[in-house]
Amino acid sequence: MKPLDWVVMFGWLTFLVSYGLWRGRKSGTVNDYMLAGRTMPWYAMGLSIMATQASAITFISTTGQSYVDGMRFVQFYFGLPVAMVILSATAVPIFHRAKVYTAYEYLENRFDAKTRALVSAIFLIQRGLAAGLALYAPAVVLSVILGWSDQTTTILMGSLVVLYTTTGGIKAITWADVQQMAVIFVALILALFMAIHLMPDEVSFLDAVTLAGAFGKLKAVDTHFDWNNRYNLWSGLIGGMFLALAYFGCDQSQVQRYLTGKSIAQSRLSLLFNAMAKIPMQFFILFIGAMVFVLFMFVKPPVIFHPVEMGRIAQSVEYKPVEDRYNAAFEARKQAAQRYLDAKHRGATSPADLEELRSTQRNFDAARQDGAKLVDKARGSAGFNDTNYIFLSFVTNYLPAGVVGLIIAVIFSAAMSAVSGEINSLATVTVIDVYKRHFRKSATDRHYLWASRIATVFWGVYAVIFAGRGGGFGALIEAVNMIGSLFYGGMLGVFVLAFFFPRVGANGAFAGVIAGEAAIFAANRFTSISFLWYNVIGCLVVLATGVLVSKLEPARTAS
Amino acid sequence: MNQSDEPPPFLGTWKRVYTLVLIYVAALITLLYVFSAVTAP
Repeated sequence: MKPLDWVVMFGWLTFLVSYGLWRGRKSGTVNDYMLAGRTMPWYAMGLSIMATQASAITFISTTGQSYVDGMRFVQFYFGLPVAMVILSATAVPIFHRAKVYTAYEYLENRFDAKTRALVSAIFLIQRGLAAGLALYAPAVVLSVILGWSDQTTTILMGSLVVLYTTTGGIKAITWADVQQMAVIFVALILALFMAIHLMPDEVSFLDAVTLAGAFGKLKAVDTHFDWNNRYNLWSGLIGGMFLALAYFGCDQSQVQRYLTGKSIAQSRLSLLFNAMAKIPMQFFILFIGAMVFVLFMFVKPPVIFHPVEMGRIAQSVEYKPVEDRYNAAFEARKQAAQRYLDAKHRGATSPADLEELRSTQRNFDAARQDGAKLVDKARGSAGFNDTNYIFLSFVTNYLPAGVVGLIIAVIFSAAMSAVSGEINSLATVTVIDVYKRHFRKSATDRHYLWASRIATVFWGVYAVIFAGRGGGFGALIEAVNMIGSLFYGGMLGVFVLAFFFPRVGANGAFAGVIAGEAAIFAANRFTSISFLWYNVIGCLVVLATGVLVSKLEPARTAS
Repeated sequence: MNQSDEPPPFLGTWKRVYTLVLIYVAALITLLYVFSAVTAP
């Protein structure tokens, strides 16, 4: 990075943290600290919800995923708007009227203490794991830019996040998110503009779209149904809807955002704003990845996008033949792409042209795979994956001074925002659903405020420790969603029972959650069903078990 | 006024707002389907 990049990056981060702390300076009560005194307008909540999802993982991993796998990942979000409509009509007014701090507090009102405790524990486990992954992403950034170890950067980032979250509370987080989203939009537009601008003069924007389409990178909708296909229209609409229902309806990190609203209408509008904006935003981010793929057909990328591993294998005696093969494959693909475009301009493309183009891509992938094998050999472990380094490689090697700093700053602040929101919600559940409910039922507001701050520090440290294992996952965004899907089905099921099945009692709900989670883990262990369906399976098993147990209970009591 | 009865700032009722959102999503998915078809070789 150049001096201007450092100035932009540290300038933005300093402003962001200072602004957040200034907005959250009056968080002197538990109500202020956890729910911002229920004073938030819809646009602040809506942008904050969006910022929490647009974590550093979104920038680092989603673009890389599109580069490798195309834009089909956008289907994952098709069910989200439907879920937002359902939640606006149901969960939002129910939680608001119950005047709860956490979604799980409501479960005790509706069922009993053990159901609340079970679901709180599930939340603490899964969100704790996800917070660790969200913290790992900026560690990737720093290790690329500064050549530091992942552990060092994780601890540094974790310390900053804990400091920021502990002092400011949710009001600081929310208002910082509002500023952050504005800069995120600017950074995304700049990244796309530069990817297109850096292409050779003879390659127009439409040519880039043509090439990306020829490789199947722009196939955003797949209508073919397949249980094992992770992303298609049906898994996105149904599985994605269930996941979004669980995430926004049962996950405290999201529920807490719209509980800060000054009215039910404001909270509803914040969710509906996300319903409208999420798909276009994800499409835009994925499209950047597809354009970077096309750019790297004409501008030679490194064999391996991870700079440290690349430097290491470059010293190996086995690297030279791999590099020669890679260079030849790159040139062959570049020539084939140019010939394909020429044929397209003449209106004379044939299936043979397309096959030639795809054949050169297979050779190029194979050459890159040879490089990955060298990394595996050097590391002494199999399965090296550099998907998360693709976008960073593009940013740091090809974008001008200032823009690099801005995008890195956005990735940093996105990570800080996401992780701070997550540990804030973890701390809230720890204090409200565990500490206050089971250990210290009656104390002063000041006591619980300090308990919240201590819990925030605890979860920050936990996230740092777990983040140390982040490198073992493939594309980070998939890892986060995968972890969520293992637990969300059970959580969603119990809330559906609570809202829509008035005859189901506490024992039915408790047994339902246990059975639902067992079904999800069995599906994960013994079948190849895509993880997006776990939420559907888990939720349906909870409902069936809950209804069945509740029907059997009166008979048993009577007998 | 009961909070749950508070009307939306536009379209008069929440039911109409929800319908608008769902129509918008259906149109968006259709647009992406057309985009996929048009950009396929």
